[in-house]
Amino acid sequence: MDPVITAKHLSKTYGKKALAFRALKDINLTIYPGESVAIVGKSGSGKSTLMHLLALLDRPTEGQILIDGSNASQLRSRQLNRLRNRRFGFVFQQFFMNANDTVLDNVLLPLKIAGLSRFKRKAKALDALKVVDLENKAKSKANDLSGGQKQRVCIARAIVNDPEVIFADEPTGNLDSATGDKITDLLFKLNHKHGVTLIIVTHDEDLAKLCNRIIRLSDGKIISDQTVRKNLKVSASTRREKEAARVKKANRG
Amino acid sequence: MKLTDQIITANHNLFRNKTRTFLTILAVFIGSFTIILSNAVNVGVNDFIDKQVESIGGDDFVMVFPAAMSDQITAITTSGSKITEYNPTTGSALTASITDEDLTKLQNVDGVKLLEIYHILTPEWVTSSKTDKLYTISVEYFPSDNVNMDVLVGKMPDNKSDRFEILLNEDYVSALGFKDNESAVGADITIGIKQTAACYTRPNDCVAKVTATVTGVQAPSVLSMDGDLYINSALDQELYSLSIAGIPNELVSQNNFVAVGNIEPDKISQIREEFREVGYELMTIDDEIGLIRTFFDVILIVFNIFGAIALLAASIGIINTLFMSVQERTREIGLMKAMGLSNGKIFFAFSLEAILLGFWGSVIGIAMSMLVGYIGNDIAHQAFLSDFPTFQLVVFDPVRMGIITLIIMFIAFLAGTLPARRAAHQNPIDALRYE
Ligand SMILES: Nc1ncnc2c1ncn2[C@@H]1O[C@H](COP(=O)(O)OP(=O)(O)OP(=O)(O)O)[C@@H](O)[C@H]1O
Ligand SMILES: [Mg+2]
Repeated sequence: MDPVITAKHLSKTYGKKALAFRALKDINLTIYPGESVAIVGKSGSGKSTLMHLLALLDRPTEGQILIDGSNASQLRSRQLNRLRNRRFGFVFQQFFMNANDTVLDNVLLPLKIAGLSRFKRKAKALDALKVVDLENKAKSKANDLSGGQKQRVCIARAIVNDPEVIFADEPTGNLDSATGDKITDLLFKLNHKHGVTLIIVTHDEDLAKLCNRIIRLSDGKIISDQTVRKNLKVSASTRREKEAARVKKANRG
Repeated sequence: MKLTDQIITANHNLFRNKTRTFLTILAVFIGSFTIILSNAVNVGVNDFIDKQVESIGGDDFVMVFPAAMSDQITAITTSGSKITEYNPTTGSALTASITDEDLTKLQNVDGVKLLEIYHILTPEWVTSSKTDKLYTISVEYFPSDNVNMDVLVGKMPDNKSDRFEILLNEDYVSALGFKDNESAVGADITIGIKQTAACYTRPNDCVAKVTATVTGVQAPSVLSMDGDLYINSALDQELYSLSIAGIPNELVSQNNFVAVGNIEPDKISQIREEFREVGYELMTIDDEIGLIRTFFDVILIVFNIFGAIALLAASIGIINTLFMSVQERTREIGLMKAMGLSNGKIFFAFSLEAILLGFWGSVIGIAMSMLVGYIGNDIAHQAFLSDFPTFQLVVFDPVRMGIITLIIMFIAFLAGTLPARRAAHQNPIDALRYE
């Protein structure tokens, strides 16, 4: 299978001269379609930075990123925008919603940007809201939702354009374990059923264990990159493990 | 993102902060209102002048006078007589007279059909068999083939006719005892004119009487100066010869300041040149009207400058509003960029908001100036414009208003480019990190 995203000798330096800070150092990795990748590491280790680079939201200081085998830095901005709009979905560390718009308007934003007709985008956004079990909140103001509901809206927004790759930065970070599990279920369902590639940044080891691959970062370097299961369609075993994880978590809490 | 979506979104975003948007639109409105209203008044005035000129015709009519007198003539025709310092070498203001020799020269210029000395006629009174009263009167003779006053009934006096003919206006119809306009046409009236020379010997019996036929009745018009009644050439000659009877010829010719006549209108510029060589200036009806127009055009320019200054201030308001809006929506911009909205579209989104500010300012400006203009027009008609029912003080020319709106939207767009550029060039990640 051909890789979706390949990173070669990626470095990212923030600031200049005396203030320069190397947040990422010589990162090499290859991500195949259908993988679920967890990026873990301590706070400040460069997880978000790496995710942003892989998602083509920011440019590396050195090195390159290949999408479907071709160099992303050579894409025209139109192609780049189209790529992000059609093939990627994002869940950011903070929610990032337009607080005064309705839930529906927030979810259909990527489709509006894509230029879909009013009717189609509404239908698709409602479908996405159904997936996260929030279709009854479509008309509510985004600001009036609870934290968990907001995060689910963000997931709905990330999946509304049927992306090939979902980038999620701490998708369960601000949530209680029950809501967190709901969201985790959702993401992995997409991975298993539709073969959506997941790239999840997390500091939650339990969540990381659900992924088939765990990349550990420390001070901007990859210290380990383990593929747990080669088989990508292992819904049953995943579910069992997930149950176990949930029990463990419940016991701890 | 589709254009319609962009416009709807921009308009929606604009009204998120209602107070701020309202105040910015108010600033634009002040400028647009000034410009639109002053333009409407200008169009109204010009339209009215055009209608009057068109209705009068007379594009072949010229007034000729010695070049030395052009200042005085201009002053008199535009603002009545003007006070000037006495100059012993030139004597009183109107001195230069037209000699017979010059008149022949001018008469022979190509394109000139007729040129004759203008008679200053001051008839004493007018009356008819239907009344015992005498009324004051002033008359005017137009040596033109196509003068066409606003004739309500009948026709214009005929310059080629040997009969004495006169055009009444509506005020005289009832004063002279006629039942209505129709019954006045074809009737005879009597004009009395003083014979200056005879008055020295018979002061109480020196008014000669002339009977003239009414050819028609005209509506009052601004250009029929002070209610002058139009007479034909034959009546003009008759009244003139009666008034100067017995006065020596040398004295009479001293009063020849102005000649009037008709020409071929398309040769006007050559004629003007050739007259200048001989030392004479000429003035057409258009020239005369042009002076009035210039006056209103200057007023328009002054008001447009006020409006432009207001718009400049409004532009700064637009820049400020949009900078605040870009600041507030930094994250939203980052989010939309992350989701693939291009820099160009972000730029366009903010430019659209600026353009919409301009648009709403203009639309409200148009609405308010229409309201104020029409109310003002009604008030004016009840007061000082009551004699001119056809004079619309304000005329809102859709093309002109459209152009003004477009210009204001363009100015707003220019103002918006600064904040829009800032928004467009934000890095999506920096924007998302913005707290
Ligand atoms: N724009 C920036 N300018 C300067 N330094 C930055 C910038 N963004 C990130 N950094 C630094 O880069 C390092 C990595 O940041 P990053 O956000 O990737 O961490 P992280 O692993 O996601 O941490 P967390 O788990 O707390 O979210 C941090 O030390 C951070 O201070
Ligand atoms: Mg982070």
